[in-house]
Amino acid sequence: MLNTGHDLVATLSSDVSTEAEIEESDRWYQRFVGGAMMTNVWEAVVLLLLPFLAPNAEGTQYSPPGKPALTRCRSPEKETFTCWWEPGSDGGLSTTYALYYRKENSETVYECPDYHTAGENSCFFNKNDTSIWVNYNITVVATNALGSSFSDPVDIDVVYIVKPNPPEELNVTIMEDKGWPYLRVSWKPPQKADTRSGWITLIYELRVKLEGEDDWEMHLAGQQKMFNIFSLRSGGSYHVQVRCKPDHGFWSEWSSADYIKVPDYFHREKSMWILITVFSTFIFLIFMCFLHMNSNRSLKYYILPPIPGPKIKGFDKQLLKNGKSDEIFCALVVPDFPPTTSSKCENLMVEYLEVYVSEEQELILEESKELHNSLKCEGSTSDNDSGRGSCDSHTLLMDKCGEAKGDERQTDGEGHPMEMEAQMHQRDWKEGTLSSAYQDIVSPDMSSGRVKTWPSVFSPLHQCGSTSLNQMNSLAMAKQHCLSDNLSPPGSASSFLPQSGRSTTETHRPNYCEFYSSDKQLSSPKPQAQTHRKLQAHSDINISHKQAGLQSPALRPTEYVEVQRVNKEDMVLLQPVESGCVCGDGCPQVCQDYSKVKGLNSDNMLLLHRDVMEGEEVRSHCEKQETNGCITSHITPATQKPTDCIPTVTPIVQKEMGLAVSGYVDTAAMLTLPTH
Amino acid sequence: MAHRTKGSKLFITVLYVVTSCSAVPISDLLDRASQRSDRMHSLSRTLTHELDSHFPPIGRMMSPRPSMCHTSSLQTPSDKMQTLQVSESDLLSLARSLLQAWLDPLVVLSASARTLPHPAQNAISNKIQELQEHSKNLGDGLDILSGKMGPEAQNLSFLPFRGGNEIGQDRISKLVNFHFLMSCFRRDSHKIDSFLKVLRCRATMQPELC
Repeated sequence: MLNTGHDLVATLSSDVSTEAEIEESDRWYQRFVGGAMMTNVWEAVVLLLLPFLAPNAEGTQYSPPGKPALTRCRSPEKETFTCWWEPGSDGGLSTTYALYYRKENSETVYECPDYHTAGENSCFFNKNDTSIWVNYNITVVATNALGSSFSDPVDIDVVYIVKPNPPEELNVTIMEDKGWPYLRVSWKPPQKADTRSGWITLIYELRVKLEGEDDWEMHLAGQQKMFNIFSLRSGGSYHVQVRCKPDHGFWSEWSSADYIKVPDYFHREKSMWILITVFSTFIFLIFMCFLHMNSNRSLKYYILPPIPGPKIKGFDKQLLKNGKSDEIFCALVVPDFPPTTSSKCENLMVEYLEVYVSEEQELILEESKELHNSLKCEGSTSDNDSGRGSCDSHTLLMDKCGEAKGDERQTDGEGHPMEMEAQMHQRDWKEGTLSSAYQDIVSPDMSSGRVKTWPSVFSPLHQCGSTSLNQMNSLAMAKQHCLSDNLSPPGSASSFLPQSGRSTTETHRPNYCEFYSSDKQLSSPKPQAQTHRKLQAHSDINISHKQAGLQSPALRPTEYVEVQRVNKEDMVLLQPVESGCVCGDGCPQVCQDYSKVKGLNSDNMLLLHRDVMEGEEVRSHCEKQETNGCITSHITPATQKPTDCIPTVTPIVQKEMGLAVSGYVDTAAMLTLPTH
Repeated sequence: MAHRTKGSKLFITVLYVVTSCSAVPISDLLDRASQRSDRMHSLSRTLTHELDSHFPPIGRMMSPRPSMCHTSSLQTPSDKMQTLQVSESDLLSLARSLLQAWLDPLVVLSASARTLPHPAQNAISNKIQELQEHSKNLGDGLDILSGKMGPEAQNLSFLPFRGGNEIGQDRISKLVNFHFLMSCFRRDSHKIDSFLKVLRCRATMQPELC
């Protein structure tokens, strides 16, 4: 094709002005400059020749034409097509353009048949010249007197360049559907596109907007030629436009807009709204009169009822405002509260405690960690991230529980939170709930509902010197009972360790103590208990027996300890709940109860001994534990707490023969007993 | 319709008879077939576009001419007039022949797509698989259609693919050949689509859509 092009250029250039002519005009110019008189005609001639002469005087600026470029080719209906090009610089000379093409399979070069139909710098291929599914190789040549330049060739296939004309005969009318108007838009496909035979498949899109707004609402109409638009604004004026696209081609331009005005249809709506408004006002007025007549309190009372103040006896709002919460709660302690008469005790102690912390409740533990933290526990809140009491962590035992956290919020006279599951698996360290639970008990005001294990009877504030130690003691004893179990055989040194529960001992006493926090299920006075948490004091023995994974033991409640009563000697009698004795394999259903307070040892440790029903070994075990201080209520550390209320605790403790005041038995303390 | 021939009138009659027998009407079958061929062609366009985006410039020089497609020997109408004059059975036969001719090459393309040195190789591989699926489904559908459209529709032209199992040894030739094959497929899928849509409009019961 290139060869052919050159030949053509050669022939074309013969028409352009040659060097000879330029020289002649040069001479002419010189003659003129020589000073001949110029008439208007000559001026005109000079002006005409100036573009040729002036450059010649300064230097040649003619050049071959710049490179043209084919900009686009389009077919409106897959039967004809047009190509447009962009001319390059013309090099100062008149330039002509020619378009040459070659079809896919032949070497014949053709020239564009029609340069005019489609306008300037275009080439139109009519039906006869258009073949589809055939590649056209098209080039544009720009030629002037000095040379020619070729555009880059372009390969096109007509079927891929289809861009139809916009749809025609757009028609918008208003129709009504049960009183609500809508627009019906209809149109026709562009004239040239043959959709009837299926040669072209068109899909349509229309857009609508309100007059004066900028946002168009687009609707795709598929192949249909009619569309309904609902949800009109009454009285609005709409512009509608439509365009189309072949199935594999380009979108057409938007058609010219059609305008339509929607009539007002608001009247019907309006009357309805008026009716509603009047009716509701009427009702409201009646209501107001009713209120006024039936009460001597003002309306304000109903709209903004007064906020009830705290009704806690002894509660001093001023103290609260001052911010010293310890004082507040100390102030709340009433000597008589909770009632400690034994007659009542008996009744009150019927309920049993269930504190159950299951693994699934870890999340809740996390939630209530804050609560936990807010509760005062010496060393219980150290482990902020875990939601467990610090005393839960076996590794931190003494340290954490021993240190005074400086949480002076609430004197935790009871001592450390009791860790029923000291030997639990790490998972069971969620007994943080338990600890918090106990703290809840201790300070019911503070507890915001972790585990409300104790019935209200047991919710006295011991920290501030309540006298109702018995209940706490019973709890303590119950806990201690479990703890002592946990302590059990000397060989279970590992019991405190992460392999919680996996001890080497083989004894099979079911030393599970379970404290269920009966939250929702039981008549817990603290309905805030969120979940059913089960504290499990797994004895090492049992767990070792099971060799179970960390998870399983946590879920095996074995023993419920039921606090029965506090007898006259201030002894809390505990009795295990039979039903709860699910110890697991190989556990003889031996439930012992620690119901006898042995006494207080030198370390202010409360010793409970078991009222054993069977098994010498059990007894010996128990006793062994006793000597080991199976029950520990670490009063001492408690006393170290620099809270105001604590001092009140210890004297009481001593008064009560060292019964655990706080009811917290520090497993940590136990675990670090020298026996192990 | 100016192009209605005696053959097409007969076709329509047959069509009505067939539809009266509570079988799936041919118009419906053709509608489904054309939808599938439309999807197939869209996929091939997307694929060639993706291949174009990462095409070595030298590849354009090396690219075989479109007339080298293995289906170029099949005589197909080259403009609207010719197309509308072809009978329905012939149109269907053409479509089926083209589709048949691409079964093997698509397998080769699919295998090569897994190791194609192209940044979008994974997407390309997925699309090729989708293409294979469409192609197979369409082939089955057209076979059923051909059974309803007379004996001439059963004629198939055999267009063997002689490209072998490999599309190239080195990176450039792999890309170039892959691109070339896809462009051939793009064109052929467009032919199939057009023929089916012409058939659809001829057989349709809903002239407002055509």
